[in-house]
Amino acid sequence: MAKNIVIVEDDPDQRSNYMDAISKKGYAVRAFGSREEALGGFDEALPDLAILDIILGEEVDAGFQLCRELLTRAPNLPVIFLTERINEIDKISGLRLGAWDYLPKPISLDYLAERISSLLRINEVRSDQDRKESSSEKNIGFLALDQDALLVAWRDERIDLSGTEFRMLAKLVRMPGHAVSYETLMNATMQSLVTNNTINTHMRNIRKKFEKIDSKFSCIKSEYGFGYRWLDQ
Amino acid sequence: MAFKLKIRGPRLGTKLAMMGLTLLVIPWFSYLQLVEMERLLIQGQSQAQLLTAEGISTLFNGREDLFNDLPINVEDFEPLYALPLQSTIRLDGDAEDWGEDAQKSYLQFGSALGNSDADFSLLLGERDEYLYVHMRVQDQSIVYRDSEYLRLDNADHIRLNFIRTDGADGRVTLVFQESNVITGFPMDEQWRYSATGNADNRIQGVLKPSPDADGFFAEFRVPLDLLGSRTFFGMTFIDVDDVVDREVVASTQTLPPTEKQNFNLVVLRTPEVRKIVQGLGYAGARILVIDNQQRVRAEAGSVRPESVSDAEQSWLTLITVWFDDIRPWFHQLVTGETLDQSLGGRASAIDGVVDNPADKAITISLGGEPIALRNKVSETQELILAAHPIISSDEVIGTVIVEQNIDDILRFQRSALEQVLLLSVLSLFAIFIALIAFAGRLAWRIRNLRREASSAIDARGRLKKSQLFSEIRAGDEIGDLARSVSNMLEKLNQHNTFLESMPRTLRHEINNPLNTLSTSLQNLAEEHPDIDQSKYLASAQRGVNRIGSIVQNLADAANLEESLEAEELEIIDLDILLSSYVANCSLSHPGINFAYRGSNKPANALVSDFRIEQLMDKVIDNAVDFHRRDTPIRVQLDCFRDTLQISVANRGPTLSKEVRKSVFDSMVSHRGQENRLHFGLGLYVVRIIAEHHGGAVNALNLQDDTGVAFLVQLPLAGSRERGEDEMFRTERAVSTG
Repeated sequence: MAKNIVIVEDDPDQRSNYMDAISKKGYAVRAFGSREEALGGFDEALPDLAILDIILGEEVDAGFQLCRELLTRAPNLPVIFLTERINEIDKISGLRLGAWDYLPKPISLDYLAERISSLLRINEVRSDQDRKESSSEKNIGFLALDQDALLVAWRDERIDLSGTEFRMLAKLVRMPGHAVSYETLMNATMQSLVTNNTINTHMRNIRKKFEKIDSKFSCIKSEYGFGYRWLDQ
Repeated sequence: MAFKLKIRGPRLGTKLAMMGLTLLVIPWFSYLQLVEMERLLIQGQSQAQLLTAEGISTLFNGREDLFNDLPINVEDFEPLYALPLQSTIRLDGDAEDWGEDAQKSYLQFGSALGNSDADFSLLLGERDEYLYVHMRVQDQSIVYRDSEYLRLDNADHIRLNFIRTDGADGRVTLVFQESNVITGFPMDEQWRYSATGNADNRIQGVLKPSPDADGFFAEFRVPLDLLGSRTFFGMTFIDVDDVVDREVVASTQTLPPTEKQNFNLVVLRTPEVRKIVQGLGYAGARILVIDNQQRVRAEAGSVRPESVSDAEQSWLTLITVWFDDIRPWFHQLVTGETLDQSLGGRASAIDGVVDNPADKAITISLGGEPIALRNKVSETQELILAAHPIISSDEVIGTVIVEQNIDDILRFQRSALEQVLLLSVLSLFAIFIALIAFAGRLAWRIRNLRREASSAIDARGRLKKSQLFSEIRAGDEIGDLARSVSNMLEKLNQHNTFLESMPRTLRHEINNPLNTLSTSLQNLAEEHPDIDQSKYLASAQRGVNRIGSIVQNLADAANLEESLEAEELEIIDLDILLSSYVANCSLSHPGINFAYRGSNKPANALVSDFRIEQLMDKVIDNAVDFHRRDTPIRVQLDCFRDTLQISVANRGPTLSKEVRKSVFDSMVSHRGQENRLHFGLGLYVVRIIAEHHGGAVNALNLQDDTGVAFLVQLPLAGSRERGEDEMFRTERAVSTG
């Protein structure tokens, strides 16, 4: 059965473009143009994944509100935000809304499709209670990384990272001790139009999430003028 | 800045103080007015006195009979002058109470030497309707009257003969009683017996033997009305030496020996005239009637003596003294003429003769002209003399002089002057203080406003405040100014906010259609795999990406300051950061040679590391773009006392002066047309980041003009408070060294 995906986007052209692209990938897509419509749609049936534009018409935070609404109904529902600004990344990062990812505009539809499939898969993996030790799980020092479930733990404590952050971290720890260039990290974000600053912002957010549970965390080193490096403690 | 010329005039306070100087016209005008007033008052008084004199003279006009009491020719007579006596005379034989002048006025009668028996000297005085007589008589033996004899001529006695009021001859004998009392008896024609038998009580006197026993003093008085209006009289001393035979041995009379007349003339003020004048006398004025022989015929009243008021406070006297000192100078300054000229000069100006004004007044008025003169009798006392001729049958028969003190006027003037001066000085002082205080406050307020207004915009022209706070509630023009400036700032701020938010709005507005475009292109490619390879699709995608990055860059630059605010700063050793950074530069810019020279000691600064990295990216990008091939790009870190300095130097084209000024401004690019992806945001970002860290940036040409150096100065950790001037000092040190 096709997965049910909801798109909330106020611009009809973009909305139909997303719909077309996603439908082609074999998903059942419902699209809404405003928060109210979307809420009505959620009442009918909860989707398996939601793609939310943050600004809907005049409502600047409508995407976040919808996300909160969805997560109260289905806590593990994957959400993808469509953002416009870097500072919104911070905002999203601070929300800790659960399993989610985001994609800055202008959107690459390929990346979007990839994210959708990735998040759906993750949700499946996570919901699989009897899952055995996955082969995709990887341990580097105190860091535990589950590529399939997009789960990260530090000293056995789980850390919520967004899809983008997870991919960056995974790239960083692939060869511990080696510097990873900005370019590599940029590719890992699976976004178009990424600058060093975007990478720096993401890295800072990742660092903060680690420091929250371990104030002595210092594995992520800046390699000024080049990129980052993971150092084992 | 070009318009920062040296425009500096007098300050507000100076201007107001200078305007305050115009207040000096107040004492100036006051003084002129006072001088004019004094002139008017004196003129008024002169007029009044002249009128008085005229009035009095009118009384005498045609009354030459009053003066005709006197013979026209005085030389026919031996005049006996009677002194006007100042004080009350005690009839005691001593002439001490007659006053000092009297001692010289004795008239000698008798023998030429004046030492024979019966010689006498005579002093006449007049006071209170009495004629006072003091005689010094040479007489070896005084023979008193023997009351047993009825005859009165058989003892020493004095005969007075005169013309009575009724025109008949008057005879009075003064006899000496044993008690040294002098008694007067009206006599018969033979001078032997008393005509009435009774003494005339109106005649009183005493006798006083002289201490040398060679005579006696007689002092007596006779009522003037006894002598009649003409006051002719003769006096004879009859000397009797022998008590037994009582024969007259000698007599001395006042008549000249060759004289046909029987009488002497006693020159008195004409009683008739005096009576008239006395009725006219008024306080403070002296009225003199003078005949055409320049003799005083009547006098009434007295000039009020100078009133002495020294009981004033000492500081007032001090001011007075001081004022007296400056007055001549002040007078000349204000009126342009010397004080003496305007005060006393008028009298002498009449005929050019410096003369006693009183004499002049008499002379002129006897010439037939009424005149009023000022007469300065002493340093402090001044009189006005008004003289008006008395005319009878077209002939001047005398003059009336009214003399009055102008003390009052002068005192009034002086005190008014003092007051004016004092008030002027005080008010000038007060107004000056007030003006200066006002100006000071005004200047202070304006300065405050200026300071706040100029601090509302920083050196780069960015708005730092959206409104002013000082003077905003003031109700005056400065308040208006403050409000309007504040209003301006507010509007500017709105506009600025609009401008600042524009890139974001623009991004939002552009991103959506761009996204539509992008996704449409992607869908198109998906739908028609045959055109997926089309170069047009690829270029369309590139265009979309390009627009996206342009918008992204613009928005990032516009948001830079805002996002910098959110940055957390930590203390980082920039030496480590830079050495690692420069080492990595070689990797990211292959083929370019980078050289780094560190500070050899920790260069700790409170920074956000990846912002510094971003800053370096931009500076290095710039250096790479402009460097001459195969020349190294040198990065150097220097530590000064409070600041550290990162310099990035490359060989290549130098910067002109204008470019150096604007190179760190937003949207300024000097790369030319070939490099369209740069919007002049790179070095702007450098400046914003440096300034956010409390630092500064500068662009210099290398000393030998072979390239440029970009300097970034940042405060060392712990020295943020120490101001920018330190930084500029080090900058200077670098640029000159």
